[in-house]
Amino acid sequence: MAEPCPRCGAPAGVERCPQCGLLLSLYHASLEKLRRGPPRGDAPWPSSTRRLVFHGRAGSLLGIHIVNVLFTLLTLGIYYFWGKARVRAYLYSQSELEQDRFAYHGTGTELLIGFLKGLVVFGIPVALLSVVPQVFRFPPAVASALQTVLWLLGLFLVPVAMVGARRYRLSRTSWRSIRFSFRGSVREFVGIFVVGSILTSLTLGVYYPVFATKRQAFMISHAYFGSRKFDFDAHGRALIGPFLTMVLLFLPTLGLSWFWFSAQRHRFFTGHTRFGATRFRSTVGGAALAWLQLSNLLAIVLTLGLAWPWTVVRGVRFYYRAVTLEGPLDLGDVRQEARAASATGEGLAGLLDADFGVS
Amino acid sequence: MAGPRVWDAHYLDGRTPERRPARVVIGHTGLEITLLGGGGSFRWPLAEVRQTQGFYAGEQVRLEHGRGLAEALLIGDVAFLSALRAGAPQAAATFHDPARRRFRPGLAALAAVAAVAVALGLYLWGIPALAAVAAARVPVAWEIALGETALVQLAPPSRRCLDPVRHRRIDEIVAILLRPLPDPRYPFRVTVVDHPMVNAFAAPGGAIVVFRGLLERTDSAEELAGVLAHEIQHVLHRHATRAILRQASTAVLVAALAGDVSGVATFGVQTARLLGDLRYSREAEHEADGDGLRMLQAAGVDPRGMLAFFQAMQKLEGELPTGVRYLSTHPAAGDRLHALAGLAAQPPTRPPLKLLAGDDWSTIKRICRPAP
Repeated sequence: MAEPCPRCGAPAGVERCPQCGLLLSLYHASLEKLRRGPPRGDAPWPSSTRRLVFHGRAGSLLGIHIVNVLFTLLTLGIYYFWGKARVRAYLYSQSELEQDRFAYHGTGTELLIGFLKGLVVFGIPVALLSVVPQVFRFPPAVASALQTVLWLLGLFLVPVAMVGARRYRLSRTSWRSIRFSFRGSVREFVGIFVVGSILTSLTLGVYYPVFATKRQAFMISHAYFGSRKFDFDAHGRALIGPFLTMVLLFLPTLGLSWFWFSAQRHRFFTGHTRFGATRFRSTVGGAALAWLQLSNLLAIVLTLGLAWPWTVVRGVRFYYRAVTLEGPLDLGDVRQEARAASATGEGLAGLLDADFGVS
Repeated sequence: MAGPRVWDAHYLDGRTPERRPARVVIGHTGLEITLLGGGGSFRWPLAEVRQTQGFYAGEQVRLEHGRGLAEALLIGDVAFLSALRAGAPQAAATFHDPARRRFRPGLAALAAVAAVAVALGLYLWGIPALAAVAAARVPVAWEIALGETALVQLAPPSRRCLDPVRHRRIDEIVAILLRPLPDPRYPFRVTVVDHPMVNAFAAPGGAIVVFRGLLERTDSAEELAGVLAHEIQHVLHRHATRAILRQASTAVLVAALAGDVSGVATFGVQTARLLGDLRYSREAEHEADGDGLRMLQAAGVDPRGMLAFFQAMQKLEGELPTGVRYLSTHPAAGDRLHALAGLAAQPPTRPPLKLLAGDDWSTIKRICRPAP
């Protein structure tokens, strides 16, 4: 039966329109998908722009924070990890995409065990290497050799911690009950990190944008939502110019040029991130970023840390306002594919202060 | 009433990101869930259901069923929780009660007061007690090593006054003071630094630093002996070690209050390096004063030198800039002189020893200047 082609109106064949080449079965399948479309009627599908929405309030977070501080003091620090898990659970639960909240599945117990393991892996060697030379006065040659070992250990452990923290964090994050995961290999990242660090120091920092982009590419392109992977498609070459401009203007602008570079880097990294057909985009501006970070810092200092919840909520809102998801978001073939992960890297990252969370 | 209330919900199966509209009815022992659009219906026994979201304003209620990668039910209306608690009293404790939210601001205020009280308690009693216990267990070898590091910073080798003849006289005073001690445990040694500061420090482990400014203001060997006895007591009582531990713990406390514990390790390390900025408590100064005076008496040194020096320092207070004052790092209660005078008033058992009888003190105290 020759029904007219739904696109051009010409009398079509059974499978393919002879005039415009439209594949009828594919067309009807897509139409059906569109009809089934969005879970709720109020979100158009496929809409061109999606946003993350944050519903959290500084007041609620302040309440959580105060209770966390009290329990942390009463338990001489042990509760800290449970407090951290509570804050994360709150922030994730208040983050919405397409009418659905994110969820955090990590626990304080996991974080404490991760911290203790990190302490064994990192703390004991460092403590030994830094205390021993002080107690037993070694000759300078031995002491500086130990210093070098310490430095190398750091160079090796920082990337291990960064990958571990990301693996743990993503494995404990879900949206629509589908877990995120991170599948990059530690060995590969240690390679990127060590080579990048050496090249950065050899080129007096000029290589830094390429290094930073390689790190970001690794962190993004090995991240998964269920069975589907995120993609990152950029080389840091494009950032070298802005980076050198920032360095040149650093002193004349009293360091403010850093914020402009930082915003540009954020736009660059976000703009080259994809999830299937969805492309991310960021409109973070230098002035806005400078104002956000400087005023947050000032608020923390002036209130002796009490403003912390307010600065967190403000920061999350700032980034959620600036970042959009462009293009169709087709989740049809995404399946649950969770990966196990321990919190050791997270604990290590806490000790090393290498908390490079990518939201 | 037309049957039990039906609640709007969404169902996530835990395998796909598909969000399916559903209806929920609360039964006595379970939730009856019907998927819209012909997805069938099923029942979750309440004993297997746990709540993971919906504890705060602005959060949807999220119930999970199953272990690990669970199925989930999302309900927008928070009144569902109250209905659930009312409909299934035996399981009520498992679910959050939204009515309790109104107590939260009050509880948070209480928690804030309690946190301040606990922090103050830790600062005033907990940390000093902890530091005292811990300091007593630090091996002497560690203290000596730590003091060595501090000495390099407090007394840069290029600024030390090393004239061997006059330095030997100062060492002699230390030896006389230590003579009555059966086991001093620490290798005490004095380093004189060419600096106008009117001050003296004791690093852990027995290294004592005396600045030119102080040395030149003493009028006799007995006055210096008083200062040295005081500093030696700081070392013997491990006041510096205790102060380092106290400062490091306080930094941790501050970090805990500010909600940032990642910087704790750095804090601790930094404070340990700032030995020169250490402040002892008034109790520690009192202890060093009293035991220093007793040390002088035991060694047979006339304690009036110590008294005279402290008197002179008190007079100097108004004249010197803050940075170089002795009392700025040696705080004392107002009755310091009074207490010392009381102790010194006991009649000596033997006539006091005349320190460095054969030498001219005014030459020795100018060790940082060329010998005449």
